[in-house]
Amino acid sequence: MGRQRGLLLLILALVIASIVVIVKVPTRLGLDLRGGSQLTIQVKPTEEIKKITERELEAVQKVIEGRINGLGVSEPVIQTAGEDQVLVQLPGVDNPQQAERVLGGTAQLDFRSENPTQIAFLRVRQEELQELQTKQPALEKAGDQAAIAANQAAIVAKEKQVEDAVKQVYEKTGLDGRYLKDARTELQGNVWAVGISFDQKGADLFAALTKKAAQTNTRLGIFLDDKLLSSPSVDPAQFAQTGITGGNAVITGNFTAESARELELQLRGGSLPVPIQIVENRTVGATLGQDSIRSSIIAGIGGLTLVLVFMVVYYRLPGVIAAIALVIYALLTFAAFNLLGVTLTLPGIAGFILSIGMAVDANVLIFERTREEIKAGKTLYRSVESGFFRAFSSILDSNVTTLIACAALFWLGAGLVRGFALTLALGVVISMFTAITCSRTLMLYVLSIQSLRKPELFCPNIPNKPSAEATS
Amino acid sequence: MKLSVIRQRGLWWAISSALILAGLAAMAILWTQIHAPLRPSLDFVGGTRLQFELDCTKPNNCDRPIQTAAVRDVVDAQGLAGSTIQVLGQEQHAVTIRTTNLDVDQRSKLQSALESKIGTFDVKKTQIDTVGPTIGRQLFSSGLLSLIVAFAGIALYLTIRYQFDYAIFAIVALLHDVLITVGFFAILGLINGTEVDSLFIVALLTIVGFSVNDTVVIYDRVRETIALNPGRHIDDIVDDAVNQTLTRSINTTMTALLTLTALFLFGGETLKNFALALIVGFTMGAYSSIFVASTLLALWRERTGNAIAPVNATATEANVSKDPLG
Repeated sequence: MGRQRGLLLLILALVIASIVVIVKVPTRLGLDLRGGSQLTIQVKPTEEIKKITERELEAVQKVIEGRINGLGVSEPVIQTAGEDQVLVQLPGVDNPQQAERVLGGTAQLDFRSENPTQIAFLRVRQEELQELQTKQPALEKAGDQAAIAANQAAIVAKEKQVEDAVKQVYEKTGLDGRYLKDARTELQGNVWAVGISFDQKGADLFAALTKKAAQTNTRLGIFLDDKLLSSPSVDPAQFAQTGITGGNAVITGNFTAESARELELQLRGGSLPVPIQIVENRTVGATLGQDSIRSSIIAGIGGLTLVLVFMVVYYRLPGVIAAIALVIYALLTFAAFNLLGVTLTLPGIAGFILSIGMAVDANVLIFERTREEIKAGKTLYRSVESGFFRAFSSILDSNVTTLIACAALFWLGAGLVRGFALTLALGVVISMFTAITCSRTLMLYVLSIQSLRKPELFCPNIPNKPSAEATS
Repeated sequence: MKLSVIRQRGLWWAISSALILAGLAAMAILWTQIHAPLRPSLDFVGGTRLQFELDCTKPNNCDRPIQTAAVRDVVDAQGLAGSTIQVLGQEQHAVTIRTTNLDVDQRSKLQSALESKIGTFDVKKTQIDTVGPTIGRQLFSSGLLSLIVAFAGIALYLTIRYQFDYAIFAIVALLHDVLITVGFFAILGLINGTEVDSLFIVALLTIVGFSVNDTVVIYDRVRETIALNPGRHIDDIVDDAVNQTLTRSINTTMTALLTLTALFLFGGETLKNFALALIVGFTMGAYSSIFVASTLLALWRERTGNAIAPVNATATEANVSKDPLG
């Protein structure tokens, strides 16, 4: 009996400890419950970088971290997944579209200088385009569909040529986003702009570039991701001698307050070494998450209550013990989630609730065995003992098979699916303990109380009801 | 009461076959319509699903319910004809739109077009799911792979713990459960447009993990009874084993079904189909363990001339079943 008392104390201690853990350690909620965005970012190879290696992936991760810091999201999670993906979790983000735009752009900024010899060429192309465009209204009036379509196609082709010509006009100078020190949104008059500061090296390059521009009376081209944002000119009277010193510049272009802010965040975070694409976005509003929490609490308590009532009604005294063991199970499991830092997601909660229904399986097996032994005429104590003993092999087998399915889910599944596998597996392992050790200890304790040691509390209708084989 | 599973096995098999055939027929019809046996959600084929709800804290914003036609006009004007639109909620203040895969700019455009036409949406009640086609394929193949791995793992475990023929029929029973569950959702997809998502694969795996339990428990009893009564005919042994474990099979499934019913009723939209899949699968799991796996084992032993187990083989099996606690 000493061993029993020790176990009883151990169980009591575990219950108290788990209540303390549940109260003290906060439960980590997944984004689907607390609200937020989860983005999967696919890193894409380019012509120069044909294969994404760990180096690129790390660089991308770093840039993304920088940009997220600018977004002001608390507790973001950024981790690489697989060989060429980055997973980003943004809890409580209130403008998911903006977050996605900020994270998604490559943001390769570079300053280029105009090549005067190419300008004439660009002019010709631009005039050709204008000519085509002016022709269009006249054609539309005439109503010749084929001619309109042909002209439209010609315009599109010409626009492409103009775009290419623009790139020809501006030559790379080596001054690019690498030399940026800071970026900020500014209001220039009533136009939104992004002000930037270069580091020392960048400031020198910028001074040389603007000096040359002032002397040759050419313009600068500010490009973002290979697209011309603006082409400012430099005042020769002021800057022909030194260029613009001090390392500050302002980028204008058709910015709104929002798009200027987005560029600011991207530039501050740095440019991405390779292009990326956001291939998955799962966003759940905070209120929806709270609704889910509420409904899963109701479902959990409802499920637990139904199982408890069923066990007590059907199995009587052992049922009460199983019910106590089940409550202990629920407490221990929930405490284990908090303690191990398991992030609870909606499927995870489903797994937990389901495991409540499955946790009593072991008790059902044991009690059915016990009843059989009682019917076979064994004493109460020996029936209970052999009920536990002989049901063990079935319990072990059935739990191992569930664990195998969980392992398959955990290793091969992604995201939410893993949460379910983890909670179900933890539940299965803990239920082995509560259903066998806890209920056995409690049962033996109950048997030591004289007034409860009655077979009819364990199995209804023993004397009259013949065994199953005799009726058919 | 005693159930004679063996005598009426023709009936049990007929019921199973009818259920499986109905499911297969539904899958075939779906295949002719959408070239897939089940309606895949965007998890597997990629796409965008947006859920918006009107912000009722703003004055005059929630005056009237959302009209599907009005939403469709906006969606069509964005060049997204053929999208699925569904107005939700008792007051009809929420709407879900399922389209092809939209990038962030297309989505923002759609959202602002909708807001100007219908009213301001509450950002805290917005749900966005967008999955690229590659990710969809990735989710699908990893799901399928985990199913196969789980099957193989369970087969391996049962082969080690029992004999090979036990393992085979346990797997047959599992396939039966999974097939009927899949068939059930094919029928739902046909008549109700129900889609299957990654949670459905989770449900199938859970069914596999759970319903093998019943089979294992019955087989465990068969093995034990053979060991205790060498020389008895397999038909009798199976009948006895099934009946001795019947209450347990029913009660265990009962308790799991009780929690699942709670999940189905109160667990919210996301978990509804998940709970339903498990309810079907677990019920079928109990059915197949009691009526299919056991009778198939008996038939097999009969046909292969092992109806009455040789005495020395059973002695070793008995040891296996007795030692775990020691």
